[in-house]
Parts: sequence; structure tokens; C-alpha cells
Amino acid sequence: MENIYLTIALSPLVGAILAGFFGTILGKTATHMLTILGVLISTVLSLYVFNYHVLEQGEIFNQNLYTWMQINNLNVSVGFLIDNLTAVMLVVVSFVSLMVHIYTIGYMHDDTGYTRFFSYISLFTFSMFMLVMSNNFMQLFFGWEAVGLVSYLLIGFWHHKESAVQANLKAFLVNRVGDFGFLLGIGLVLAFSGSLDYMEVFSSLGKTMNQQLWGLDLITIICLLLFVGAMGKSAQVPLHVWLPGSMEGPTPISALIHAATMVTAGIFMVSRMSPMFELSDVALTVVMIVGAMTALFMGLLGIVQNDIKKVVAYSTLSQLGYMTVALGVSAYSVAIFHLMTHAFFKALLFLGAGSVIVAMHHQQDIRKMGGLRKKMPITYWTALIGTLALIGFPGFAGFYSKDMIIEAVHFSTLPYASWVYVAVVVGVFITAFYSLRMFFLVFHGESRVDAHTAKHLHESTPSMTFPLIALAIPSLLIGYFTIEPMLFNGWLDNAITVVPSHTSMAELKHEFFSAASMISHAIQTLPFWMMIGGVASAWVFSIYRTQWADWAQKKCHRTNYVLESLYGFDRFNDIVFVSGVKKLGNLLYKVSDVGLIDKVLVNGSAKLIGFIGKIVRPIQTGYVYHYAFFMIVSLLIILTWALFAGDNPLLEL
Amino acid sequence: MVSLSDYLILSSVIFCIGLVGIFVNRTNIITLLMCVELILVAVNTNFIAFSHFLGNETGQIFVFFILTVAAAEVAIGLAILTLLFRNRGSISVDVTNSLKG
Amino acid sequence: MNNFIEFDTSSLWAALPEIFLLSAIVVILLLDLFLDKRFKQVTYYLTQLSLLISGLLAFNLIGHPQTIIFSGSFVLDNMASVFKVFMMGATMVAMVYSRHYLRAHSLFRGEYFVLVLLSVLGMMVMISGYSLLTLYLGLEILSLSLYALIAIARERADAIEAALKYFVLGAIASGLLLYGMSMIYGISGSLNISDIASFASSANLASRETLIINFGLVFLVIGIAFKLGAVPFHMWVPDVYQGAPTSVTLLISTAPKIAAVAMLVRILVDGLGSMHAYWSDLFMVLSILSIALGSVVALMQTNIKRLLAYSTISHVGFIMLGFATGTLTGYGAATFYMLVYVLMSLAAFGVIILLNKKGFEVDQISDFKGLSKHSPWFALMMLIIMLSMAGVPPLVGFYSKFFILQQVISAGFITIAVIAVIFAVISAYYYLQIIKSMYFDEADKDITIHASIDMRLILSINAILILAVGLFPDFWMTLALSLF
Repeated sequence: MENIYLTIALSPLVGAILAGFFGTILGKTATHMLTILGVLISTVLSLYVFNYHVLEQGEIFNQNLYTWMQINNLNVSVGFLIDNLTAVMLVVVSFVSLMVHIYTIGYMHDDTGYTRFFSYISLFTFSMFMLVMSNNFMQLFFGWEAVGLVSYLLIGFWHHKESAVQANLKAFLVNRVGDFGFLLGIGLVLAFSGSLDYMEVFSSLGKTMNQQLWGLDLITIICLLLFVGAMGKSAQVPLHVWLPGSMEGPTPISALIHAATMVTAGIFMVSRMSPMFELSDVALTVVMIVGAMTALFMGLLGIVQNDIKKVVAYSTLSQLGYMTVALGVSAYSVAIFHLMTHAFFKALLFLGAGSVIVAMHHQQDIRKMGGLRKKMPITYWTALIGTLALIGFPGFAGFYSKDMIIEAVHFSTLPYASWVYVAVVVGVFITAFYSLRMFFLVFHGESRVDAHTAKHLHESTPSMTFPLIALAIPSLLIGYFTIEPMLFNGWLDNAITVVPSHTSMAELKHEFFSAASMISHAIQTLPFWMMIGGVASAWVFSIYRTQWADWAQKKCHRTNYVLESLYGFDRFNDIVFVSGVKKLGNLLYKVSDVGLIDKVLVNGSAKLIGFIGKIVRPIQTGYVYHYAFFMIVSLLIILTWALFAGDNPLLEL
Repeated sequence: MVSLSDYLILSSVIFCIGLVGIFVNRTNIITLLMCVELILVAVNTNFIAFSHFLGNETGQIFVFFILTVAAAEVAIGLAILTLLFRNRGSISVDVTNSLKG
Repeated sequence: MNNFIEFDTSSLWAALPEIFLLSAIVVILLLDLFLDKRFKQVTYYLTQLSLLISGLLAFNLIGHPQTIIFSGSFVLDNMASVFKVFMMGATMVAMVYSRHYLRAHSLFRGEYFVLVLLSVLGMMVMISGYSLLTLYLGLEILSLSLYALIAIARERADAIEAALKYFVLGAIASGLLLYGMSMIYGISGSLNISDIASFASSANLASRETLIINFGLVFLVIGIAFKLGAVPFHMWVPDVYQGAPTSVTLLISTAPKIAAVAMLVRILVDGLGSMHAYWSDLFMVLSILSIALGSVVALMQTNIKRLLAYSTISHVGFIMLGFATGTLTGYGAATFYMLVYVLMSLAAFGVIILLNKKGFEVDQISDFKGLSKHSPWFALMMLIIMLSMAGVPPLVGFYSKFFILQQVISAGFITIAVIAVIFAVISAYYYLQIIKSMYFDEADKDITIHASIDMRLILSINAILILAVGLFPDFWMTLALSLF
């Protein structure tokens, strides 16, 4: 088996290297054939691994393959931990990646960076595999950084666009904040357990239970720090600002990285760490609330967007919020379930949006579309399936996963869970509203396409429509077939720990009969009617009485303003993290070099040693004395401190 | 009888004069070189005093080396000073502030 | 004290690299006088050759058991040999990079090479010095050569100003160091590190004696901190880095750091290791200040040499943090960090020098605009270097930071580690600025590269090493740990 796992991880890497270094020599066709072959091998083997581990209940594989370094007792290795959770992630990542590779042939057809792009996405696939297959924190962090790095490369892929460069910088900086928390968390893990290996860390958790740090339980702090990392990567409020910006990158990567795989790394990580998170109700509550805020508020932002990709991006944020809520209420398997269904239907929606964008000659404003249904039938039908899956229409994949999340919140005993329940139910309405609004504006109603584009409007090439169809099938069916084994028959039991006092999952199991009965009972549930309400209002505002939308916009311009300014998060983050750092630098520079040395020290010293002051000429701009003075004052401070400081043993003199 | 602590106090006074001189003087680099010499003289006093009271010559040997190094240091200092004069037309320390920040 | 007179020639082999280098310097100095201007190349090659031979001699001594000669004032141990090999390797690489620059700025003169060799000799003495006297002499040989090297660009006012500042501040620092040495000598009665160590660790130390040792210790720490460039004794670093000719900056930013760390180890670890409790707090404070100031002030810089100076200050903070932990593994981590820093700094200044050409001094970040278009390969190399400095895995810069922080955390200083990480994150921003310049801005001037093939090759190897060591750090790690 070890060779199979290695092949899964390495074949995209080989593809990436070949495409990256020899792409120009090989030519376009050979490049995409090679990289697709690499990912295809991974996909087939992933399915095999899935079959072996999940369906045939194979042994968990946990082994170090290569010792990267050894410091005293600390062993940092490259190793694989393959259990059912990993197997599910492998299938999702490899399948979506394969589809995106194929789609790229059509989408990037005329781009000058064609081979480079293939190299990047294959490299990304490799990094993502290393991340999900890791058996230790260090490799997890490396994979974490590597997927981030490729994502920056891809966001800035069209670096002649100023906005792309800005988005790129923003993504980098915001993720640094997340990584910083994550790294600290890993550091603390290392400090208390002395190991980086998952299993060793989990087995030493007992020791930490009663330890305190900074006035809180150690385990809570560790979980919160790790979760800060997840917030960065999985774009949770307030670290979400980079994700909408990342839409500056080419659409295939929006589907692969910013919807299906990389952004879910945080969800995966928290699930992987479930033995730790389960020990801290505080951390779980924070996770749940952050998730609920993301789910609700990011959905609201989706309503006022007019860029087709931005709408999908905000819906991604909102859905990530749902997954996070599920994590918070200890329904890890539900989160992974939603992660899986979401990967399929959101990739589908992005690729569908990409198909529309190509047909519209890179026009992304949905107000300038309309009536595309006739011209692009395949895109239309697949997008319909994706949308229905997203809003949770009974029978579609998203229906099961979202419904389960809402039910799990309903059964949760954590504080504030009832508020979160309201948020996620209202979220269903909002999701339906913005999704259908976009859908109607793009495909239905009168055509608002300009004449020139309208003439050339046609369905995309087969290399683009094939992935749409291939993704539409799981978006439709996967929920029905996997809900029962995944959530209730223990597919993920060997990877996820839930303590008995968190009863959500148990209650869910108690209530659940079958996938079919969920459909038949859907009509009696509140989320269903919220969804119908959302669809109906979207229809009213975007098809039936479009003038109402304008009227509402005028009447509620204040609300609209709040939404359009993205709740000021962007500005806030810009001020705090981006220019804040700059300003801090500026300030310190002024304070230390200009202020401190020139004014405080030099002027101050003149007053301090008054009699010298008369000899000293008025302060001039020469610096050497200032430096010398600074050194000497430091010497005096250090001397005083070293000889007379509080707990210095010298005080015994 | 002059005690060890007397020597040490003397040397620390000279040392402080040297230190203070460096940042108090703002006109002339030559004064600066003199202050550096003062610091070294203070150290030498220290070494010799210790050496004498410990009955151990190593300190005095150190002093010889310090004297040699001080001579070399002044040579380089004066060379830099000449260059500065050639470039800026002045040996005032005030002209040297184009590098900052 | 009679053994001062006994001069045992049979033990001279332990100082063979130094003896050889000194003889070579004398020969080169004389030879250069009689060489015609057309043959200045010869001086360069002789310099490289003597460094190589001396380095090989030092390499040959790796693995010898500790040998102390010259009445206890000179030590040969593994650390000395390894440091010397690295130091001379770094100098040789720096010379390869400099040749191109020296030509372009008409500094290709015999004195330059002789001064470099002298500074190397000074560093070797510092590395092997085992008494306060030898350490001081090594330090002065190094410093005096460096003052002269900076001022060698006689027509450049900036260089002279930098030399003056370095000279004045350096003189104060060595004055402080000497004052500390005199105190230690006065209380322990000896200049030898081993005698000082046995005195300081003796159990029946009177509290008055402890006080005086501490008094001296503060001065010693300051002298060392100055040489390393730690806050608040860092003021010379940015000015000298900016003002000095880039080839000299390259030299100053690399090899002397090895020597300074060696001096630190000799005095504070070998000599006053038992007083660790007293100096480690001091180190903690200085290193946090360095990391903070280095990271934050660098953000404001537009001059890349100045930026790298502040970045050096913050790297020095990390090195000192490793020593502050007071564990042998911590010392190893600091040494590893120091070697990694030298590797990265060499490469970074190498790229700057690479872009220099006749009549055009590259020192602004904006000079890197559009490098990815003109020279994608070297832009990639610079990308690797900058990401490594920022501590992005899997490059070696990440690993060295991680190792230090791990030691700090396991020594129980969690808050310190947190602060260090925060500033490390901030510092990522300015490395990013350079990357942005290279990859996302359009070039506004001609930046074609005119460098010899040997420089391109060695620079590429240097940058790739940063990646390779990051992937396979085990050997370097074990090496650094084995020195303590």
C-alpha cells in the first residue's frame, strides 16, 4: 500500500516538474496530457484507496517514510496517516483537481502562461495531498504553506492586472496572520507533548488537561490558536477578506483552490484535531459562533454583489461558515460530509461561471447578462443542478449536508447554540435568494448582452462542458448515497473522536431513518420553507418585478451601503493589518530614530545634565554623538538593571 | 598608601570623561580621537593597578598590547579624518549625517 | 608563570592555518608592490589561493581533540576548525562576488585584498582565542582592517562617513569590552579562559566577587552585542551597510558574524558559562529588542542595503535568543542559525552585486523592478533567498527559526517566543516588497546582467543550497549540535 500512497502524492508532482521546467519544450498538448495523466493516476488510485479503507475497512496506515531531521528526542519526519478521513479527502481533491485540469484546456486555451498554469495546479494538487495525508504537524504546516504559496502564485497569475497584485498581497498578509496563530499552536503542542506526531500528541493529551497558561486552560489556548490558522485558510470572519479578492485569479483555480480544496483545509484540520477540540467547550463555542457569523453575514454580502464570481465567492464563504458551525457542535462527520458535497457543487458552479465568462468575453457583471439559457444549454442545466444543490433543494447533495448541519445545531447543548440555530436557518433563505438571483439574472429574463458579444455567444468547448457534466452527477446524487454510511454507519469513526457529553451526533442518529424519508419529510421542516421563500423572492426581484429591486435598493440605501462596503471589514483589515504594520513601522521609526534619539535623548539629556547643557551647543543634526550617547545610556540602563534588578541574586549583598 | 580602589575610582573617572567627551564634543573629530585614547588610558590604569595588587604581570603585558593597538587605531582614525576633510572640506562631526534613518 | 618563556615549536601545528595565512599576507603585500597594474588579477588569485589553502589546513584539523597552546591563549577544537572553514568559505565566496563589483567601481587594488586577508586573520584569532588578550587582539585586527576597507572608496563621501561612524563607535565598544576584561582579570587574576572558567564556577565565590564579575560581564556582553549588531548597540549597522561599498558590506555582513559568535562562545559559554543566569536575561532583552526593532524599522526602508542591515539586526536577535536559552541544544540552534544567516546574507548581497555595473550603484529596492522579466533565473534565486529570510518553509530560513523557537519554548519562555513570532510575521512584509518589485513591477531602467560565469554559477549554487539545506537539514544540524 505504501507505494500506492506515494504514487498518489508524487504523480502530480512529476507532472508539475515536467510542465514547469520543460513546458515550453514539450508544447501545449504534451504538457496538459502529462499533467492530466499525473492527476488521473492519483484519482484512480485514490478511488482504490477509498475502496480499500472505507468500503473494505482496511487497516489504518500510519508510518514515517523519511526522517527529515532529528533533534535530541524530537523526530520530524515525512509520513502518511491514511484513515477513512484521509481517503475521503483524497477522492474529493483528486476528482475535483482532475476536472479542473481538463477544464483548463479550454479555459486557458489562448493564455501565454498555459504550461506554467498547468504546472502550478499540479503542484497545488501535490501539496494538498501532502497536507491531507500528513501524520504530523510539521508536514501539515508545510503542506499548509505550500498550498498557500501556490495560491498566491495563482491569484497573481495575471500580474499585469493591478487588482490581481493587490489581491495577492492581501491574501499573503491575511494568511500570515492565520499562519502565525497556527504556528504558535503547533509550538505549544510541541512544548507540552514533546512530539509532533498526531498519534503521540493525542495520546499525551491527558497530561495537559489541568495545565494553565495566561489564565486559561492550556488546551483551550492551543485549540484557539490552531483555529486561528483554520480561520485564515478557511476564510472565516474576520480573516475572510482575502477570499473575494482571490477571484482575480483565473476561474479554474477559483474552483479548485478557493472553493473545493484549499479553503477547506481548515475544516479538515479541525476534524483531524477532533480529539483536542473535544476537550475544550470554550474553543468549540468560539468555533461555532465564528462559523455562524461567517455563514450569515457573508451570505448577506452575496446579495449585493454583481460580479458573477464574487457572488459564488461569497456563497463559498457562507458555506464554509456552515462547515465551521458543524465543527463547533462536534458534528465533525457532518462538516466533512458538507465539505465533500460542497466541493462538488461549488466547483461545478465556479466552472459554470467560468464557462459563462468565456462565452461573454470576460464580462463578469451579471446585470449585463440574461437569457443565456437558450445559447448555453449544457452550462444552463449543470448550473441549475449546482444551484439547487447549493440552496439545499430536497434530493440534491447539498440538501442532506446542510439539513444535517442545521439539525446538529438544533441538538447542540453549547451556550448560544439557539442563536446560532436562528443564524443558520436564516442563512438558508439568504443562500436561496442570492443564488437564484444570480441564476435568474444570468440565464433567464431578457438578454442584456451587448450586440457584439451576443453575436458570438455560444456553448463552450467539450473540454469545458465535460467537467461540468462530470461534476453535476455527484452534485445531484452523492448526498443520497453517502449520508447514511458517512454520518451514521461509522465511515469516519476511526478518525474522529466525539466525547459522550456532546450529544448532537447521537441525537441525529436517533432521529434519522433514511435518505428517502428525509426528502418526504422535507416539506414539514422550517429550512425547506425558508429555501422556498428565498427562491420566490429572488424570482420576484429579478424576473417578475425587476423594478422592485431598484425600489428596494433606493429605500434601503443605507443597508445597501453597509453591505457594499463589506461591513467595513476590508477597510478595517486594511487599516489594522496592512497599513497598520506600515504605520507602526513609520511611528517607531519616527519615535526611535528621530524622536527618541534626537528629541528625547538629546534634548532630554541637555536638561538632565544641566551644567553640560551650557557647554553643549544647540542640538544639531549630527548623528555620531547621538549614537554614542545612545550606547552609553543603554550601558547605564543595563548596568543598573543587571546589578540592582528585582530578583537579581546580587540584592543579597 | 594608595589602595586598589583609589586606582579603580581614578580609572573609572577617566573612563567616564572619555565617554562623555565623545558625545559632548560636536565640533572636531580630533577631540573624538582623544576621548577614545582616554578610554584606553582608563583601561590601562585598571590593568596596571590590578596587575600590581595581584602580583601578576599578565595585566601589564596586556597594557603593552593595548598601547600598540591604540597607536594603530589613531593612525587609521587620522587617515579617515584626512579623507573626510578631502570629501567634505571640514573635520567637524556635524557634516557627517547623510546616512540616517 | 615560567611557561611564558618556554616556546614549544612542536605544538605549532595547531595554529598552522593562521601561520600560513600570515606568511601569505606578507608575501602578497610585498608582491603586490612590484606587480604591474595589468597584473592585479594575480593578487586576486593569490588571495583566493591562500584562503583556500588556509581553509584546507583548518579543514584538516577538524576532529582533533581539544589542544591548547601558547600558554593557554590559543585553542584548537572542533568548533574553531569548523567555524574557520565556514568563515573562510564565506570570505572566498564573497571575494568571487566582489571581483565584478570592484572592477566596475575601480576599487580593484592590491590593498583591498591584503586588508581582506588581514581581517580574515583577525577573525581566525578571534575564533581560536582562548585568553582575553588574544580575543581582543583578534577583534582589533578585524576591526581595523574593516575600517580601512570601508574607507577604501576614497572618493565616496558616504563610505568615508560610514567608516568614521564605525570607527568611533567601534572604538567605544572595544573600550567597553576592555574595561570589562580588566574587571574580569582583576577578580580572577588571569586572562586565560580556562582559568576564568574554573574561578567563576568555584563553589565558594564571595558575593563581592560575584558582583565584580557581573559588573565586568555587562561590559563584555555590550562589547559582543556591538560586534553582532544587537539593539541598542546596533546604530552603526544600517549606516555602515549603506555607506560601505557593497562588496565590503557583503564581507561585513557574513564572516565577522561567525567570528563574533565564536567570541561570544569563548567568553560567555566557555569562560563564564557558570554565570549563565546573569547574562541570559540580558540576552533575552537584547534579542527581543533586536528582533522587534529590526523587523519594524526595516519596513520603512527604500535602500535595500539598509533594509538588509535591519534584517540582519533581527536575525542577530534570533541568534542571541538561542544563546539566551542556556542549554547546549540552544547553543547548537543558535550556531545553526548563524551559519544559515551567513548563507542567506551572502546570497542576498550577491544578487545585489550581480546587478551592479560600471557607473551604476544598485542600492534601491526599486532597482529590482522587473528583474523577473530580464533575468527570470536570478529573480527566482532572489525569491528563494527572500522567502528563506522571511522564514517560509521548506527553505532553510524557516527551519533555523523554528529550531530556535522550539528551544526557547522548551526552555519555558513561551511569551518570548510569541513576541518573536509576531515580529517574524511582520518582517515577512518587507521581504515581500522586494519580491513584488521583482515580479510585479515594470522595469524602468536597463538591468541586463554583466557578470562572469563563475559568479553566476556560485551564486546559483549558493541560493540553491538554501533550498537544499532546508530539505535535508540533518547534516548541518548534527554538525552545529556536535560543536557544544
